[in-house]
Amino acid sequence: MTNSSSFSNNIVLCVKDIKKVYPNGVVANDGVSFSLLKGEIHSILGENGAGKTTLIKIITGCITPDSGEIYVHGNRVNINSPMDAINLKIGVIHQHFTLIPSLTVAENIALSLPLNFSLDLENIKKKIRDIAKSINLEINPDAKIEELSVGLRQRVEIIKILCQDAEILIFDEPTSVLTPLEVKKLFSMIRELKSRGKSIILITHKVKEALSISDRITIMRRGRIIKTLTPSETNEDELAFLIVGDVRPSFIARESNPGEPLLIVKNLKVLGDRKEIAVNGVSFFIRSGEIVGIAGVAGNGQKELVEALTGLRRVESGSIIFKGMDLTNKSPRFIIRSGIAYIPEDRIRRGVIPNLSVAENLILKSFDSPPYSRSMIMNRNIIESFAQNLINIFGIVTPNSQIAVRNLSGGNIQKLIVARELSNHANVLIAENPSAGLDVRSTETLHQMLSDLRSKGIGILLISADLDEILKLSDRVLIMFNGRIVGELDRNNIDMNKVAKLMLGAT
Amino acid sequence: MMEFYKSLYRALLAIAISFAITSILFVLTGANPFLAYYYIFFGAFGDLLLITETFVRATPILLVSLGLAISFKCKVWNIGAEGQLYIGAMIGTLAALSMGESSLTLLISILFAILGGAAWASIPAFMKARLGINEVITTFLMNYVAINLIQWLLAFPLKSPETLFPESARIPSSAIFPIIINHTRFHLGILISFLIILPLMYFLMMKTTFGFKVKAVGENPEAARYGGINVGRTIFIALVISGALAGMAGFFEVSGIQYRMRPTISPGYGYTGIVIALLGQNNPIGIAFASIFIAAIINGSSTMSRMLNQPQGIVDFIQGVLIIMILLSDMILRYLEKKELILR
Repeated sequence: MTNSSSFSNNIVLCVKDIKKVYPNGVVANDGVSFSLLKGEIHSILGENGAGKTTLIKIITGCITPDSGEIYVHGNRVNINSPMDAINLKIGVIHQHFTLIPSLTVAENIALSLPLNFSLDLENIKKKIRDIAKSINLEINPDAKIEELSVGLRQRVEIIKILCQDAEILIFDEPTSVLTPLEVKKLFSMIRELKSRGKSIILITHKVKEALSISDRITIMRRGRIIKTLTPSETNEDELAFLIVGDVRPSFIARESNPGEPLLIVKNLKVLGDRKEIAVNGVSFFIRSGEIVGIAGVAGNGQKELVEALTGLRRVESGSIIFKGMDLTNKSPRFIIRSGIAYIPEDRIRRGVIPNLSVAENLILKSFDSPPYSRSMIMNRNIIESFAQNLINIFGIVTPNSQIAVRNLSGGNIQKLIVARELSNHANVLIAENPSAGLDVRSTETLHQMLSDLRSKGIGILLISADLDEILKLSDRVLIMFNGRIVGELDRNNIDMNKVAKLMLGAT
Repeated sequence: MMEFYKSLYRALLAIAISFAITSILFVLTGANPFLAYYYIFFGAFGDLLLITETFVRATPILLVSLGLAISFKCKVWNIGAEGQLYIGAMIGTLAALSMGESSLTLLISILFAILGGAAWASIPAFMKARLGINEVITTFLMNYVAINLIQWLLAFPLKSPETLFPESARIPSSAIFPIIINHTRFHLGILISFLIILPLMYFLMMKTTFGFKVKAVGENPEAARYGGINVGRTIFIALVISGALAGMAGFFEVSGIQYRMRPTISPGYGYTGIVIALLGQNNPIGIAFASIFIAAIINGSSTMSRMLNQPQGIVDFIQGVLIIMILLSDMILRYLEKKELILR
């Protein structure tokens, strides 16, 4: 490595001075230069909107840069389409998987390969088994994707890329959808791939992960490369500082003095999408001025519980009492009006209407009540000033209130949703994985907001797969497993081992 | 405002390309395309009579496509306006005939026509909103039920005793729209459509909470539900409103033009309305211009075909190409933008 010529021979991928300005004027990449060595794990670390995804899209041919050069094994290349990238042996494991649920593993992989007219699935299955074996993976080529867990689906994506003979593997936020155990498995898999000479780029905004697995870490901020480091010469604090660019706002701890119970849930039973019992006799209460966290591995009934509380899913039995009012099986509108706000996890599908404007999304829950409308007639001026007001208070970054929400970044969409939910003067806020996909700074802002609301006497139900978040914010922690609340812990005597055990169903 | 110009671009682009493609057809049949378009224009706007005739033609198309726009905006694809139009015309005619001469006959008949169209549309609307049955299939198939039912009614039980044709008796003269411009067919219904219904629909779609609900449900039903909007009810009402307007269009033809219910009351206005709602991109103002445009093409084409000895079917050809071009126009616009041939 000390010899410069062998160093350059080892560079499998190199981008030079990449510039990309989006049509809306956002400078996503501003003179980015970056190199990947053979057999290294190279993390690109940065906030949402730092330009990581844009860089990856350029390398994989999804978008073309305005200027700049790309070299693969020292040769200048033009990557104009994903097919070009595949031919150059560059493969991506996307954050959102690109598999067809109703097809089998082998069929999905067959789709990604150049095919003859006759489909030789047996041969493809053999190839899948060989590749899986070579990296110590177990996968059944005949399993349907819809039957597989998220972790397994990700493996299918990896095998798919390997079937295309990829040498450069790019993982785009691979851990955001995984449970802690699955993350461990993924990382050992990535190390295995490295030992087989594959070169790996890992896109992430999680500092710990980058430190634990990378050979080198490159930090991006606002479209520029800030620094490239090795884990041994840095630490969490320095990386966090480099990512954010200024001092990380610290979280304020506080006294706990909850008031009266606001929301009382008794013996709730709810069915899941496949008519299975998803929530099995859950009881709990939320008092004003406290944050109740529900910890648990995703898929243990949290989603169904939230949907039942917000009127989006039928309650089979049990009751939901809010301030003495029965909300069981009431319409979403009734529940909203009673004073329950809800920040959904799936922002794009449920939280906003991407093609409508910022203002229209801000009044999504209040458009049919005065002063925004009277006897069915919308008052544009009041709506406009209301929207402008929320944009200012919550610091939503948008050119104006009339632009479609699809043009906003993830963090800003989350701010918009929070702004809308809090503008309704709710007494109880249900926040479902509110920081999922947010960068460090947005997460801090969000946590501060939740904490402030709590001080104002609002009761908050926080559902999160991120245990750190739960522990940081909650006054009480409920642990959910297999549709039941299997444990309750107080903020002041939390035993991490116990929480972990309960979450995984151990007694 | 950006969106508005984009919509305008899209419509004009689609029209321009359709004209260009139709020109090839003219050349192939040995006609001068410029002369052909001149005659089409002359045939539509050449003198006062021709202009009024264009409006006569545009009125049912306007009403139908205004209704379809609200349904399309909700992403409910009502293909059944033709049947809803027939049912509305029939029920309106029946109301007029049974009421006889009275000062309220016209008003009540219109109301019944609206109810008739709405009721007919409420069947697929219920199936869509409650049972999740695809509205494209139900609305479309119900056209055949409606039209055949009416053909039978007019051939037997409701056939006028005075004529040899399958048609109803003449409606009472108090159910007939007064003529506004003498020696033309420019009737009161045209004014009502353009000066009352059009602004009303604009208001409903752009300024009311219902218009907002329709937009929200059309763009993202899941988020709409989460926002407290009753998705099923919104879909139901949107579809029923489009049926109501189609029914109104049907009776306006009876009351303004035919004075009887006939099995040929509509030469496919229910389908032309689909084209116009698309061309006007669900914007009532756009739809108003688009219906006048298509009415001009339809009327002008008959002049053109007489002058140049060309087939009248050219109208259907233009309509077909137009639909395809509107659907393609987004892609074409994006291509032009990419190549920086037009300003963003």
